Amino acid sequence: MKVLIGSVLGGLVVVLIALLAFGVLPATSLKLVEGYMPMQMLFELGASVAIFAVMSYLLGQGGVQLSRFWQGILFWAYVLLYLKFRVYPPIPFSVRAMYGTVTLIAVFMWVSSNEEDWKKFKQPIMNVLDANTGFHKALRTVYLIALPILLWGFSYSSFLPNLDEPVELRTVHPAPPASTKVHGKTFVLQTSQNPYRVNPEGKYDQEYTNARIVEQAMGRLMKPDANPWDEKAEGYLKYVREGGEIFFQNCHFCHGDNLNGRGLHAFAFNPIPANFTDPGTIAQLQETFIFWRVSKGGIGLPNEGFPWASVMPPWEQHLTTDEIWKVILFEYWHTGYYPRTWD
Amino acid sequence: MGSLTRKKTLAVMALSAMIGLLLLPIVVSVPALASGGGAPAGGPPPDVVKKEGGEGDKDKKVEKARDVYYKTEGIVSGLPAPKTGDNAKDYPRYNFESRVLLWFANQQHLYYGSFVLAVPIFCMVIEFMGVMTKDKAMAKKYDQLAYDFIKISLTAYSLTAILGGILIFTFLTLYPAFFGYLSSIFRPVMHIYALMFVAESGTLYIYYYGWDKMKEGFLKWIHLSMSVILNVIGTVLMFLANSWIGFMMSPAGVDEQGRFLGNIWHVIHTALWNPLNVHRILGNMAFGGGVVAAYAAYRFLSSKTDEERAHYDWMGYIAMSLGVAFLIPLPFAGYWLMREVYAYRQQMGITLMGGLLAWLFIIQATMIGILFLSTNYYLWQALGRMRGAERFQRWIKYFVFLLVCGFLVFITPHTMVMTPAELKAMGGQQHPVLGNYGVMSAKNGGINVIITTTVLTFIWYQRGNRVPSVSWSKFGNIFMGVFFFFAYVNIIWLAIYGYFIPANVRVGLSVPQVATTLSCLFFMTALNLSMLKGAKQIGPIEWGKISVRSQYALIMLATAFTWMMGLMGYIRSSVRLFWHVNEIMRDNSPWAYTHTVGFAANMISFNVLFFWISIMFVFWLGTLAAKKAPVEAKAPVPGQAPQPAVGH
Repeated sequence: MKVLIGSVLGGLVVVLIALLAFGVLPATSLKLVEGYMPMQMLFELGASVAIFAVMSYLLGQGGVQLSRFWQGILFWAYVLLYLKFRVYPPIPFSVRAMYGTVTLIAVFMWVSSNEEDWKKFKQPIMNVLDANTGFHKALRTVYLIALPILLWGFSYSSFLPNLDEPVELRTVHPAPPASTKVHGKTFVLQTSQNPYRVNPEGKYDQEYTNARIVEQAMGRLMKPDANPWDEKAEGYLKYVREGGEIFFQNCHFCHGDNLNGRGLHAFAFNPIPANFTDPGTIAQLQETFIFWRVSKGGIGLPNEGFPWASVMPPWEQHLTTDEIWKVILFEYWHTGYYPRTWD
Repeated sequence: MGSLTRKKTLAVMALSAMIGLLLLPIVVSVPALASGGGAPAGGPPPDVVKKEGGEGDKDKKVEKARDVYYKTEGIVSGLPAPKTGDNAKDYPRYNFESRVLLWFANQQHLYYGSFVLAVPIFCMVIEFMGVMTKDKAMAKKYDQLAYDFIKISLTAYSLTAILGGILIFTFLTLYPAFFGYLSSIFRPVMHIYALMFVAESGTLYIYYYGWDKMKEGFLKWIHLSMSVILNVIGTVLMFLANSWIGFMMSPAGVDEQGRFLGNIWHVIHTALWNPLNVHRILGNMAFGGGVVAAYAAYRFLSSKTDEERAHYDWMGYIAMSLGVAFLIPLPFAGYWLMREVYAYRQQMGITLMGGLLAWLFIIQATMIGILFLSTNYYLWQALGRMRGAERFQRWIKYFVFLLVCGFLVFITPHTMVMTPAELKAMGGQQHPVLGNYGVMSAKNGGINVIITTTVLTFIWYQRGNRVPSVSWSKFGNIFMGVFFFFAYVNIIWLAIYGYFIPANVRVGLSVPQVATTLSCLFFMTALNLSMLKGAKQIGPIEWGKISVRSQYALIMLATAFTWMMGLMGYIRSSVRLFWHVNEIMRDNSPWAYTHTVGFAANMISFNVLFFWISIMFVFWLGTLAAKKAPVEAKAPVPGQAPQPAVGH
C-alpha cells in the first residue's frame, strides 16, 4: 500500500512534467497567478521536494529503495525540466544555466553530506569503473567508446559557424549624468524635484501624493477621494490628469494604455518598450532619472547604454519641461509606485 | 632584583615602548594638524591670491573657496588638481598597460596587508582564549596555535612591506602627476602612516620575540596587552590608507578645482570613509580566517599521521569559525557601504548595481553564496567526526533546499543576458516571474535566509554529540523552533512587503530583516549554549576523522574569499570610471576605460593565483622554521586533548 501511494505521488509529478515537456499540456494551462508568481515558483519547487521526500520515505518503508545516485540525477533533471517547460514566458538560457549549476551543486551537497550517502551515491560509478560483472564490463566499454564520441560531437558543434544573434549584455538602467540641460535649464539629478508633486498648499510633498496613487493590487483601483478625472480636482490630481492626457496623446502607442509596455506599436520593437508596472523599472528610480531618460530619449543614452537598443524619441523636442514632469507624475500615479527618494 | 621582577620590569618597559610608539605619530603630527596639515603642494600659489583676508591686514591676502562635500568655506591652501594629458610626462609608460601593472601591485599588497592585519587579531583572540581556559592542556594548545599564526604572519609581513614599496614605485613611475597631487593633499597623513608602520613593525617584533619570555601569570597579561596595542596600530594604519581611497571616490576638503582648503580632517573623513573602514576590517578578518583555514586544510591533506590530522583538523575548524564569525556581518556592512554610495552619488550607485558594473555584482552575489554554502557544507561534514550526530543527517536535505532557494533569488540578475530572440520570446526586458528576484527587496530576503540557515546549521553542529539535560530543555527546544520559524516568516514576509511600499521605506526594511537574522545569531546561540551546560555526551569528537571533502570546502572557502576580494576591489575602483579623483581629477591616460567583464575576471583570477602561489611559499618557509623548533616548544598532541572550548 505504501509503495502504491508513494509511486502515485511521485508518478503524478513526473507525468505532469513530462506532459509539459512534450508540449501535450501548455505551460500556460497551469496558471502562474499574477502578483504571486515569484513565490508560487518557489512554492512549487518546495512542494516537489516535499513530494519526492514523502515518496522516497514510503517506497523505503515498502522495501523499494531508489538508489541515491538515481535520486540525485533524477531530481536534478526534474529541476532543469521544470525551469525549461513549467515557467513562462521562457527563461533565458543564461539564467537557466546559472540555476542548473546551483541545483547541481545542491544535489552534490545533499548526496555527499555524510559518508554513508556519499558511498551510496558513488557505488554505481565505482561498479562501472571496477567492472566486476559482465554487465558492468559491457557498460564500461560502452562509456569508453561513447564518451570520446560525445566530446568529439561537442567540439565539432562548437567549430560550426553560428548564425544565431549574439547575446547582449544590455544595461537597462545606465547611470545618469550628474545634471542634464533641458530647454536651456540645468537640472541636477541628485537634488531636483518634480514641481507638480505638491500638496494643497503648493509645497513639494511626497507623502501627500503617495497617499493618492492607485491601489497597487490586482486591478489597480483608484482611491475614492483621489480621482484625477473629477472635474473639480485641483493641484496634484489635476496635474496627474494633465499628465495622463499627455501620456495618451504621445506615449501610450508604445508603452500601452496599462503602462505595461504593450502598446499598439510595441511589438514592432525589440526589445519592446519599458514596462512601468514592473517593480524593476520606474519603482527603482528617482523621478529625475525618468526626467532625464524621457527628455533625452534613446539617442541620449550614455556609452554604457550600449547597444543603445531604444527608439524612444528625445521628448524635449516635442514636449515642454512642465509636460515632461506631469507625464512622469501620471506614470507613478497610474502604476501605484512611489519614486525613489533618499532620506 | 629577582629574575621575575626583572622580567616584569622589562615587560612593562616593552609595553610602555609600544604605547610610546603608538602615540609617537600623533605627537609628531600635532603641530601639523593644528595648522590644518600645513600647506600642501607648497602653499597657496601666487597667482591665486585674490581676496583680502582681514580688514586690518591688507598685505595678507587669501582666497577662500567652498568645500565640494562639506560645503564649508576654507582658505585655499593648495594647487588645483593637475589637468593631465595623454603624454609621457603625465603618464610615463612601458609598452604595456600601466593600469594593469598598478592593479597587480595594488592587489598583491592588499592581499598581504589584509592578511597581516587580520592574523594578529586572531592571535589576540586565540591567546585570550588560552589565558581564559581553565584546562591547562587546552590553554597550551591555544597558545601554541596563536604562536603558529603570528609566525606565519611575520614572514608575510616582510612581503607586505616589499609589495608596499613596489606599489609606491609603480605609482611614482607610472602615474607621477596623480600621485603627486594625492601626496600633496595627504602629506601629513602619509607621514603619520609611515610612522605608524614603524610602530607596527616594532610592536610586532617585540610581541613575537617576547612570546616565550612572557608565558605565564602577570607577564602573560602584559603580552596580551601588547597584542591589543599591535592591533590598534594595525587598524589605524588601515583607516589611514582607507582615507586615500575614500577621497578618490568621494572627495572632500577640497574645492571644485581640487584645491586643498586647509582642513585635513575633512579630507580624511569623506562620505565613504566610515563604511569603508567597517567593511574592510570585517572583510580582512573573514579573509584572514579563510587563508589560515586553507593552510590547515593543506596540512591536513598532506598529513602522514593521525596526530597531525587531528591537529590540523582542529586548526582549520578554529580558523574557519573565526572567519565565518566575521563573514556573517559582512553583507550588512557591504549593504551600508552601498547605501552610502547611493546617497553620495546616485549615478555611482546605479553604475554599480544597476548599470555598467551590475554583472560584476551578480558574480559577487554568487561568490557570497559559495562562501555560505561552503561553510554549511563544512559544518555538515564536521558532524561526521562526532559520534551521535548521525541523528541530524536526514534533515540536511531541507537545509540544502532553504539555502539554495535563498541563493537562487540572491543571484538572479536584474539585467539578464539573452539573445534578441530570447528577449522577444520573454516579451520585454524584465521577466514577469524572475524579474521580481532581481531587485533589492527579494535579494535582502535571499541573503537573510542563507545566513539564518547558516546559524541554524551552527546550532545543530554545537549539539552534534550532546543532548541538553537542563530541566527546561523541552521548553527551550520549542522556543527555539518557534523563534526560527517566525524568523523565516518575518524575513520572507518583509521581502514580499517591500514591493508594496516606497523605495526609501523599502531600504529601511533591511533593518528589521537584519535584526531578525542577528537575533537568531546572538539569542539562539546563547540559548543553545545555556541549554548545553552540563549536557549529556552521547559520543566523543574524533578530531582528524573528518572527510577530505570538508578540507576541500575550506580551500574553496579561502579561494572564494580571495577571488571576491579581488573582484570587489576592482568594482570599487572602477566605479570612478574616468576619474582619478571623482569629479576633481580626470584620468586622461589611454587606459581610462572600463575593462570587459571577461578581462577583469581573468585579471582577478591571475591575482588570486599569484597570491596563492606566493603564500604557499610563505607557508613552506613556516614549515622550515617549525622543523627546527625544539621538541618542547611543540604543542601537545591535539587528538588526545579534550574538545576545544570554541563552539562546544
